[in-house]
Amino acid sequence: MYAVETKNLTKRYGKTFALKNLDFTIDENEIMVLLGPNGSGKTTLLLILATVLKPTSGQATVMGLDVAAQSTRVRQIMGISFQEARGFWRHKPADILRFHASVCGVPKTERDTLIENVLRDLELWDARNKLFMHLSGGQAKRLEVAKVFVHRPKFAIFDEPSSQVDLRGKRKIWAQILKLREEGSTILIATNEVREAEYLADRVTVLDKGKPVVCDTVRHLKDSITGGDVVELEIDTPQPHTLKRTLSQMKGTVKITNSGANNFKAYVSMAESWVPRMTDVCYRNKARILSIRVTEPSLDDVFLHFTGRALRGASNA
Amino acid sequence: MRNMIRLVWFDLKTELKPPVWIITEWIIFLVQVSVYGTMISQLVTGVENYHSFFAVGLVIMITFDMASHTGRHFVEHAHEGRLPYLLSLPISRSKLFLTIALQGGTELALMLAVPLTVTVMIMGNLTLVSVAACVLTLFGLGFGVAGLMLALSFVAFKSSDLYTAIVTGLSTIIIRFSTVLYPFIFLPPQYASAAAFSPLTYGADLVRFILGFDPAILVNPYYAVSILTALAVSTLGLGLILIQRLVEGVKSA
Repeated sequence: MYAVETKNLTKRYGKTFALKNLDFTIDENEIMVLLGPNGSGKTTLLLILATVLKPTSGQATVMGLDVAAQSTRVRQIMGISFQEARGFWRHKPADILRFHASVCGVPKTERDTLIENVLRDLELWDARNKLFMHLSGGQAKRLEVAKVFVHRPKFAIFDEPSSQVDLRGKRKIWAQILKLREEGSTILIATNEVREAEYLADRVTVLDKGKPVVCDTVRHLKDSITGGDVVELEIDTPQPHTLKRTLSQMKGTVKITNSGANNFKAYVSMAESWVPRMTDVCYRNKARILSIRVTEPSLDDVFLHFTGRALRGASNA
Repeated sequence: MRNMIRLVWFDLKTELKPPVWIITEWIIFLVQVSVYGTMISQLVTGVENYHSFFAVGLVIMITFDMASHTGRHFVEHAHEGRLPYLLSLPISRSKLFLTIALQGGTELALMLAVPLTVTVMIMGNLTLVSVAACVLTLFGLGFGVAGLMLALSFVAFKSSDLYTAIVTGLSTIIIRFSTVLYPFIFLPPQYASAAAFSPLTYGADLVRFILGFDPAILVNPYYAVSILTALAVSTLGLGLILIQRLVEGVKSA
């Protein structure tokens, strides 16, 4: 059984489809990252799985429970960190977390310790008695994700968990998310931050215009781009043209260009297996490798490859 | 049930620290009754004990304000982003909406504690039965008005400005064209016809009937009970259905 499964899931706002016939699964104890530009349907999917929105048609289940028909039971095993932390202007972070923990059924004996640990981990301890309205954007966002870390649900949803947070804060949030998975939670994250996806994801689903474009592990997605890896070589050889021709004919080579007399730029598939073969060829051709630099494609390149558009520039919201 | 109480208390305790808004309302009520009420009761002739009549009118206006505040509060929560959070908590929808009503009811009870006690004391009718009957009537009216505002909240999901304009206009009409400040039988015919459509007319006159005003200057109390009950049930029911469909179906939720 999948932890999360959707079949033909559709959400329509008037004539606009936010999600269109979405088939999607998450395995138990997996971190699935939804990657896509603004308006691609990520948040809509999260809100449907959190039972905040109802689907227009189709089905979605969380741990075997139907989100439309068994919404209260779904909410008992699910926790969500929203994209924007808002709404409790006159409350204090410690009170907000205490309230959240009590409503979500965290045992009273564990509550205070758990809250203190999470507040300290996310560097919110000193701000625990400030009013919410006086928190900085980054602090408010950390408080929003802290709710899920205090709750520790079986199925945790994060909508852009580290947006507005500085790099140090991001690392802390990511570490907590990984810890949550270690404790047995299944995790779904929506983001348009490539680095966040690469750091956290077991699998990535690329969403575009309400439809899944591709879903796989980060490694497989990168490897699936033909010629996606770029190997920059500086080679001392008496016969550069012959060497270039030989390298061009190697398995995995898509294209080779010259960026100087002895400098080559090779666009290859799966550089990790291409580079050893290339060194072998150089050895046999008595060429001396002076330097090698391998650049693998980013998830931005993956998005570009599968949709024909750049992730950052693809916003249609 | 415990989660419902937690939710109500979570908001209420913040509003009560310190309880400035409640005490301010009480002071405003006391000043209105003691200063303005005394003055105007000397100007109005033909209504026996107009001072008490006026005090009941003020209680009804507070009830209306608080009830419509509950509806507006809900819309604000939707726009502030708190509503999605509440909808994601492990509480059933019906209990969540009951909690919103319970919170409104608790705030109403707190707000009315002093004004109602003072009014009943002015009337010299401070008995358990009269207070209980008044409280029931006021809650019935409160639920009806809150339900009306909640039912109108679908407008707010399209445009909050339009919602504010409609609610302000409607509130003005409902209060002005009613028997809150003037007895029904003394109203000009056109004014009386309009007042017959205001729920405040029935709330105010039923409370006055309970407190011992002359029934001859009031609307029929049986009509009042029926209309207030029907209003509360229908608007709350309609409001809940609309909201349930709206908050789970629109982008702005």
